[in-house]
Amino acid sequence: MSSGETSAETVLIVDDEEPVRKTFREWLEGSGLGCNVLTASDAEAALVQANRHTIDLAILDWNLGAGNDGLQLLEDLAVFNPDIVAIMITGFAHQATPLDAMRMGVRDYFDKNQHLDRAIFLRAVSRQLDRIRPARRERQLHRGLIAFRSAVEKVLPLVRSAAALNDPVPLSDAVRHLFRFLQQTTAAADGVLLVHSYDAERTPAEELRAYSIAGEELPAPPVPFSRSIAGGVVGLQQPSILTEVRASGGTVELQPFEQNRRCLLAAPLNVAPGIRVVIELFDKPGGFGDADRRLAAAAADFGTEMLRQALAERQTHRVLFDAVEAALGAGDAVALALASKPASAEDPPPPTVLDQLKRGLGDNPGSVLEAGATLRLAEAVRVLALRHGSKAVEHCTRLVESVRALLDEASGVEESPS
Amino acid sequence: VSDPADVFAQMLSLVTPERLLHDPRATGEGVSVCVVDSGIERSALEAKHNRTDSPIHPIEGAMFAPDSTEPLPYDGRQSSPHGTTVADIVLSLAPRVRLYSADVFGPRGTCEPEVLVRAIRWAADVWKCKVINLSLGIPEQRLQPPLRRLQLQRVIEECYHNDVLVIAAAHNDHPLTRSYPAVFAPPLLSVDKRLFPDPLQFTYEPRAQIEFSAHGRGYLGPFASEPATSWAAPHLTGIAARILSLRPNLKPFEMKTILYWLSQANRPESP
Repeated sequence: MSSGETSAETVLIVDDEEPVRKTFREWLEGSGLGCNVLTASDAEAALVQANRHTIDLAILDWNLGAGNDGLQLLEDLAVFNPDIVAIMITGFAHQATPLDAMRMGVRDYFDKNQHLDRAIFLRAVSRQLDRIRPARRERQLHRGLIAFRSAVEKVLPLVRSAAALNDPVPLSDAVRHLFRFLQQTTAAADGVLLVHSYDAERTPAEELRAYSIAGEELPAPPVPFSRSIAGGVVGLQQPSILTEVRASGGTVELQPFEQNRRCLLAAPLNVAPGIRVVIELFDKPGGFGDADRRLAAAAADFGTEMLRQALAERQTHRVLFDAVEAALGAGDAVALALASKPASAEDPPPPTVLDQLKRGLGDNPGSVLEAGATLRLAEAVRVLALRHGSKAVEHCTRLVESVRALLDEASGVEESPS
Repeated sequence: VSDPADVFAQMLSLVTPERLLHDPRATGEGVSVCVVDSGIERSALEAKHNRTDSPIHPIEGAMFAPDSTEPLPYDGRQSSPHGTTVADIVLSLAPRVRLYSADVFGPRGTCEPEVLVRAIRWAADVWKCKVINLSLGIPEQRLQPPLRRLQLQRVIEECYHNDVLVIAAAHNDHPLTRSYPAVFAPPLLSVDKRLFPDPLQFTYEPRAQIEFSAHGRGYLGPFASEPATSWAAPHLTGIAARILSLRPNLKPFEMKTILYWLSQANRPESP
């Protein structure tokens, strides 16, 4: 596999002539362009290098000898790095297949029939490196964001499950067990745990939840906490007993789960500012006594401490969660900004290359189309391939063929052999 | 020269519950009392006490919140039933007091020391209350740093020097658990709970900075029958209001002396 991208771009020179490779290497290494330079004498050696390094720019001989085609090699190199671009060395630029070459990432040509010196060479390479660098940085950022999101998405469920962030108080299993233990020890027939929370930033600011002995949330209690039995006991700050459970003189109403109860023991847990928890136990045969009250007081102290610890832990989780969410949001914003900017790899080749290709096409006597239209079509297909892959190009080809068949049929033109 | 002890003995013989607490004028009339608590359900108390021959004065008040320096309007509702039970005890003993509700808990259910300080100062300076009932307690750890504790102590002392009587409930587990401002006594009257056959009975039995014990059961609300210092303090408040309606300008130390003498003259049998 390829090694990860480093800060410097990697240029691979592939030419079967050793003096050419040596000259190009010396020009590059002495240029101060700051790129890594690799060389290969043939396609096989080039692929070995591509397997070891991420090649950003390939300088390829069109004709590598032994029947090897530079364009075919570029296609193979693209398997290792789809964003690779290339400069071809050829004496037959006008014979190049422009569509394929552009699609494969050929961005410039060195014409063997024309003078090629160090300055021309380095200018061409430098131009490509300048085009590669922003795209490369974006790719690195993209990869970083993907890795970050992947890591965070693994962490988030853990954080969420570690603390139910939307509950006013995280009722751990330990608290539920304590509640059940208290109910069994006091021989109460039933019980309810009430959690009242107030947060001025929330709508509604007040929230009252009730949980059964089994820890299941009950329907929202309809009586406001301020007019409830639970609200009455928090002011006393001690477990208290009701020998008769009934509404009281316009100050207290009964919740549905308190209706038809004979007696009640309520214990307040003063967990934190804005959060009040009350345990209510119902209907002990013979009624609750001082022993039950003491037991409830001890359980309330213990439960309060557990809930405070759970709250503190949840607070830590919330801080972490908020930080992660903020980072995710920032990452998404960056990704969005990057996506809205066309990737430089999709930029059209430089005008000189286009002109060269246009001339080559214009020289083709078989051409029935104006060269500019052909290039526009080629460019459209190239961008399509870059953005959506070969399947999209195949689909496009089928569309063109369908249109051709339709027009042939409409105009009565015989289908010519392809 | 007569023996000073005899002078006090003569004075003590004049201070009897019958003369002071059962005087027909000892109704709390002319005395403003502030219940610093969790609000008062005005309609419930009006409905209960207006059925008697001496209807109560309209209850006024305000809500004090940590995030607002100015008090919020009182809508006649309780934040929890506790304050209504306390107010009902005061009205049961001194039905003609002018009652003010300072809700320092609100929907958050927590009383911050700074809020308590503001409420006490407001009751004394704005409402001109002569008696302030505090059936609440703040643990030591919530009065840190020491400046917070000092501010609370200072406002209690201001009340003392301005002839405002502050009556505060001890913690229900006192002296195992100490809470403030009750342990700031003697500038205030600190109250523990006991059960008496007559709610006008009380004792002076100082222990661990708590001086008085009063009747610890209320009359209205879900847990009124549970013995609690929260219910004991307003009993002493009601008793003080009755005495103040006879002599409105009594100073706190005079009131404490009278209460001491009353308790000595009317010692209940040990429960």
